[in-house]
Amino acid sequence: MDSARRGAALQEEMELHLAEKAAELEAGGMTAERAQAEARRRFGNVTLKQEESREIWMTRYLSELGQDIRYGWRTMTSNKAFSALAILSLALGIGANTAIYSLMESILMRALPVAEPESLVVLNWTSQPPQNASKEWVHVVHGIQGILWPGDRGALVTGMFPYPAFETLRQETAAFSTLFGYFNGRKHNLAVRGQAVSAATEYVSGEYFRGLAVAPAAGRLIEAEDDRAGAAPVAVISFAASQNRFGGAPAAIGQAILVDNVAFTVIGVTPPEFFGVDPASVPDLYLPLHSSVLVEGPASAQMFGDENFYWLEMMGRLRPGVSMAQAQAVLAPRFRQWVAGTAKSDGERAKLPAMILNPGAAGLGQLRREYSKPLYVLLAMVGLILAITCVNLANLLLARAAARRREMAIRLSLGAGRLRVVRQLLTECVMLASLGGALGVLFAVWGVRWLTFLFSRGREDFTLHAELNWHVLIVTAALSVVCGLVFGLVPAIQSTRPDVIPALKDGRGGAARQRTQHVLVVAQIAMSFLILVAAGLFVQTLDKLHSVQLGYARENILLFSLNARQTGHRDPEIATFYAELRKRFESIPGVSSATLAQSSIISAGHAGKTYRGAMKIGSVAIDGASVMTAGPRFLTTMQIPILAGREIDDRDEQGSKAVAVISERLARTYFPNENPVGQRITLVDDKREVEIVGVSGNLRNGGLKSGDSKAMTVFIAASQASPEGVTYALRTAGDPLRYVTSVHEIVREADASMPVTNVITQAAEIDRTISREVMFARLCTGFAILALLTACVGLYGTMSYNVTRQFGEIGLRMALGAQRGTMVWMVLRRVLLLAAVGLAISVPVTLAATRLVKSLLFGTQPNDPGTMALAGAVLLSAACLAGYGPARRASRIDPLVALRHD
Amino acid sequence: MGRKPKKNDSLPGSLDMLILRTLSLRDLHGYGIVQFIQQSSGNELLIEEGSLYPALQRLELNGWIEGDWGVTSNNRRARIYKITVEGRKQLAIETRQYAKLTLAIAHVMGME
Repeated sequence: MDSARRGAALQEEMELHLAEKAAELEAGGMTAERAQAEARRRFGNVTLKQEESREIWMTRYLSELGQDIRYGWRTMTSNKAFSALAILSLALGIGANTAIYSLMESILMRALPVAEPESLVVLNWTSQPPQNASKEWVHVVHGIQGILWPGDRGALVTGMFPYPAFETLRQETAAFSTLFGYFNGRKHNLAVRGQAVSAATEYVSGEYFRGLAVAPAAGRLIEAEDDRAGAAPVAVISFAASQNRFGGAPAAIGQAILVDNVAFTVIGVTPPEFFGVDPASVPDLYLPLHSSVLVEGPASAQMFGDENFYWLEMMGRLRPGVSMAQAQAVLAPRFRQWVAGTAKSDGERAKLPAMILNPGAAGLGQLRREYSKPLYVLLAMVGLILAITCVNLANLLLARAAARRREMAIRLSLGAGRLRVVRQLLTECVMLASLGGALGVLFAVWGVRWLTFLFSRGREDFTLHAELNWHVLIVTAALSVVCGLVFGLVPAIQSTRPDVIPALKDGRGGAARQRTQHVLVVAQIAMSFLILVAAGLFVQTLDKLHSVQLGYARENILLFSLNARQTGHRDPEIATFYAELRKRFESIPGVSSATLAQSSIISAGHAGKTYRGAMKIGSVAIDGASVMTAGPRFLTTMQIPILAGREIDDRDEQGSKAVAVISERLARTYFPNENPVGQRITLVDDKREVEIVGVSGNLRNGGLKSGDSKAMTVFIAASQASPEGVTYALRTAGDPLRYVTSVHEIVREADASMPVTNVITQAAEIDRTISREVMFARLCTGFAILALLTACVGLYGTMSYNVTRQFGEIGLRMALGAQRGTMVWMVLRRVLLLAAVGLAISVPVTLAATRLVKSLLFGTQPNDPGTMALAGAVLLSAACLAGYGPARRASRIDPLVALRHD
Repeated sequence: MGRKPKKNDSLPGSLDMLILRTLSLRDLHGYGIVQFIQQSSGNELLIEEGSLYPALQRLELNGWIEGDWGVTSNNRRARIYKITVEGRKQLAIETRQYAKLTLAIAHVMGME
C-alpha cells in the first residue's frame, strides 16, 4: 500500500473510532457536542497519532532498505568477480553513451548563449550549381567567399549574400526586429603594446550585438554609427582576449591596438560566455563591417558595391509573434525580386538563388553539417554497446539467480513476502547499476576530453567545449537505474516464481531459463558483429586514405605561415623580404631545402585568394587546371619529380621573364605531340603570359578524400605573383618540429612583430584533412573491442553455467567412457552454434545498416565481403576462446565426484 | 467513568500482547479492541485510545495481524483486524515472557 492510501485509510479508521466513542458517550447521557469533545479528548492528538503511525512505516521502510543494502553489499563483495564485471561493463557502456551524448548535445543541440535564441533565424539561399555540362560558370554569383554545402538533388546551399542584398532586406522590417550581417575575417595580426599575436577576427554590422541581444562585460559594443565608411576605427574584444592581453575586461577599454598595423580603439568587451554565432570558431576580435576596408585593403571596398560577389552572412531576429514561415513569405519574394535584377544573361536568370530561412538558435551549422551523421552513427554504436552490456548483465543475473534459486526458495518457504524478495534482488541490481553509473560518469568525463581532443585534432582554434551538464547527468543516472531495474526485474521475478517446491527438490534452473540465456547470447553476438563490421569498414577507409598516392612528400616537411603585409611590409620590398627569409631557413643545419608558396598543397584553394581565372594556350582554353604559386626549389623540397625542363628557382624574380611549370597530365592533355617547354600559357584575369619552363609529376590536389589524384597543376613563380601571406616548407632531417625554435629565432630577427602561424608538419596537415576518419576508425575499433569483450564475457558466463548445470550428465557420460575431447567438442559445438545463429541473424541486418554509413566510407563498399568475413572470423575465434574455458572444465570433471554430487 | 485513563506504560510492549490476545479470540476493528480490553479487564486497563493505532500499524508491519476493510456489527465500514499464524506464535512468546516476568516480580515483592 502506498503512503497516501495508507494515510487515508488510517484517517478513516480513526474517525470511525471517534464516532463510535462519541455514540457510546451519547448513549450514556451526554449531549452530542460534549460526547464528541470527550471522545476527542480521550483519543489524544489525532494528527500526532497519525504522525506516529506514519513514522512507524517510514522507519520500517528505511530499516528494510538499510537491510537490503547491507545484504546487497555482502552479496556483491562475496561475488567480487561477478560484481566487478557487471559494474565495469555497465560503467563502460554508460560512460561511452554519456560522452557521445555530451558531444552531440554541444554540437547539435545547444543554443547560443544569448537572450531568446529561438527567435533567431539564419538566412540561406539555394540554387542549381553554377556549372553546367560544359563546366562553364554561369550564375549571378560571380564570386563567393565562404562555404557552400550540398543541398537536395545536387543544389548548392550557402549563407553568403552580397552587401546590397543585405541593405535591401534590412528595409523589410515587417518580419525582423533586427537583421544583422557579419563575415569571418579569419586571422589578423593583433598587436597590443608591441606584442603581436594572431587573432581570429569577425567583421560585424552595426546591428550585430543589438540583434543578438548581448550585453557588454565592459564598455560598449559596436553600434550602427560605428559601422560607416569613415567612422572612428573601434574594436570589441572577447572576454578571453581582454584577460590575456590586458589583464581584465575594464582595463581593456579605451586601449589602442594595432590590427595588421591599423590603429583601432577598444571600446568594449563581450561577456565571457559569448562566442559569436559559430560554435566552431570563437573570434578574439570584433570589428565593424566597414572597417574591413582599412584592414583588408581597398579591394574590400569594392565588395560593398558588388551585386554579384557573395560574402556577407546574415541573421535576423523575428518580431514577436512572427513565425519563421511568415518571415520567409515576406523576405523570399523581396530577395527574388532583387536578385533577378542582378542577372545579366538568360543563363544567369535560369538558376537564380532562392532564399530559405533556417533556425538560428544554435548558431551556424558547419559543425552540425559535418558531424551530425558521424555522431548519430557513433550514438547508435554506443547504444548497441549499452544494449550488449545490459543483455550481459541480464545474462549474468539470470545465471546468478539460478545459482541462488535455492536460497530464494528457502527464504520464500520461511514466509518472506515475494515482493520483499523481489525488492531485495532489485536493490542489489540498482546498487550494481548505480555503482556502474557513478563509475560511468568518471569514464564519461575522461571520454568527453578524449573525444574533444580527437575532434579538435590539429585545429588550433577549435573552441567546442563539450562538457557534462546536468542534462547529460540526468540521462546517465536514469540510464543506470533503468538498466538495473529492467535487467534485474526478470531474473528477480523468475527466481521468486511460486513453484518453489520443485526448486527445492531440484536445486537447478529449468530449460526455460537456459533458453532465455541462449537468446541473450545470440543477441549479443549479432550486435557485436554489426559493430565489428562497422569498425572494419572505418579502419579500412583509414587504411585506403593513408595509401592514397599524393605525388609529393609526406614526411620530414615542416610548414608554417608568415604574413608580411599584415605587419606593414609593402610591395616590392615584400618579395625580397620573403626571399631573404627563405635563404636563411635553408641555412639552418639539418634543413636540406626550403621553399615557399601561397599556401600548403593541402590547403591550396582553401586559404586566401585563389587563382581560378581562365587560362588559355593560344586560343585553347584550359579546363580544370589549378594554379599554385611556388617559390624556388618547390619541387625539390616536396620531392615532386621534374620530368622535363627545370623547376622554378632563384632566377625567377619579379621583373624577369614570367615562368611556369606544368604537371604531366596537363602536358599530356594539351601538348600531346610536342614538347611543352618553351610554350606559353595566358593567364586571362592577370592579363599576362607565362612561359613553360618545366614539367612536373602529377600531384594530388586538395584533401585525401575529395581531391583529384591527377590534377592538372600550373606552378607559377611566387615572386612574380603578389602573395599576401606565404607558407614556407622546410625539408628537414628527422622530426620537423625540432626546427621550430630556429624558425622562430630567424623570424624574430627579421621582424619582431611578425607572428609565425600554422606551424605544422606536412604529415599532420594531411592527417588533419582526414581527422574525422581517423577519429572514426579509432573510436569504432575501441567500441568493437569493447563489444567483443562484453559478448565473450556473456558467452563465457552462459557456458560456465551450462557446464555446471550439466555436471551430473557430463560425469555420467565420462563414466560411460566418453573421451575428454568429446566433452570439449560438446561445449564448443554449442558455442559455435550460438555464434552461427547470431551471425545468421546479423548478416542481413548488417548489410542493411552499413548502407547508411556509405557516405562516410572511402575506397570501401559497405557490403565489403572481406570485412564481413574478417569480422565473422574474429567473432567466431573470440567465441571459441570464450567457450574454451568452460569446455576444458567440462572435460576435467571427475566422473566419481560428479556422480556423487546430489 | 470519572477516572482519568491511565497511561499504559507500566509494561512496555504489553499493549501489543493485549491486542494480540484480543484478536486471538475474535476479529475486531480498532474501537472494538479498546472496548474489549477495557471490559474484560473490568475497566482496570484503560487504553489511551490514540496509541492503539500506531500499535496496530506496528503489529501489521511485523506480519502478526492483518487488517481488511469490512463492516461492523452496526453496519459501518471499518478495518477489521485478525491475527496471523505468525501473530499467534508471537502471542505465545510474549505470554511466556510475561508470565516469567510477573512471576519474577511476584517473587521479589514477596507475593508468592
